[in-house]
Amino acid sequence: MMAFIKQQAPQEVSEDERTTARDFHGLSAELNSEHATARRWAVRDLVSFPQASEVLVARLKIEEDASVRTAILSSLAQLGDKTAMNGLVTCLRSDEASLRNEAIEVLKAIPDEVGPIINALLNDSDSDVRIFTINILESLRHEHVEQWLMSVIDNDDQVNVCATAVDLLSEVGSELSVQSLMNLKQRFANEPYICFSVDLALKRIQQGEH
Amino acid sequence: MKTILVIDDAATVRMYHRHILESAGYSVDEAINGIEALEKALVKNYDLFIVDINMPKLDGYGFLRQLRSQDIEQAPAIMVSTESAKNDEILAYNAGANLYLIKPTKPDELLRYSRLLLGESI
Repeated sequence: MMAFIKQQAPQEVSEDERTTARDFHGLSAELNSEHATARRWAVRDLVSFPQASEVLVARLKIEEDASVRTAILSSLAQLGDKTAMNGLVTCLRSDEASLRNEAIEVLKAIPDEVGPIINALLNDSDSDVRIFTINILESLRHEHVEQWLMSVIDNDDQVNVCATAVDLLSEVGSELSVQSLMNLKQRFANEPYICFSVDLALKRIQQGEH
Repeated sequence: MKTILVIDDAATVRMYHRHILESAGYSVDEAINGIEALEKALVKNYDLFIVDINMPKLDGYGFLRQLRSQDIEQAPAIMVSTESAKNDEILAYNAGANLYLIKPTKPDELLRYSRLLLGESI
């Protein structure tokens, strides 16, 4: 009797399929897949694991695919623990403008998690981080935004940090900010941009444009 | 009249640059990010671009790289940024900038370099 051997066609594995175990270790391993789509799925599924921030932050440091990086930032925002927040804040120090901008957009969307670290970020030794923090305040929808901005223009010595704060105060500032704005104009009397932007902010506040 | 496109996500910066440039007799258009700037640059011939680096959606580098890859008449670009890191300056030139200035710009500085890139006497 002749043996019948069923010829099976080689199984095609789409990179879209979730091919590994969806437990924490399987997903963590999948972060190193050669396929970006598989890595992206792993990143998304890791959100279910509270301990995932560390592996996601580690992957973020070496990930080169933009869509996977975006997914990592989104997952870290959802996790929102200390490790995740540190990972997002680290992006503000990146040399890559696109990564910084993506992190800013993600941080804007999580006011409850960002609120407690704003003071530390506004006092960071890197003036660019302070500027990006003010960019985050732009649409943070947090009750302390005006107070934070007043504190910046009262105390920060870096002209661009103050300029960024004035830009935002011209949109969200109230009568409370007027004295701080006038003091800033005196402090940077030789900076045409500061004088221009303070005058504009004062005009808007006095006209109650917002 | 020469027309300059000012690209910056900060409204106050756009107004400030517009104020300086219009006072010197230039016509000024504005864009709030690189995507809007590309849309405008592809349908209108500008004489000069003044481009911020950090903008949402499409940053200044991305805008210039995409603009420079188009088969259209290319105007010079001044890239402005709050960052003074050497790396940013190199990236700006690699993306296609003709000049890199640090914010906040001074009116006389902005006009001097604009005139230079527009081929006018300074």
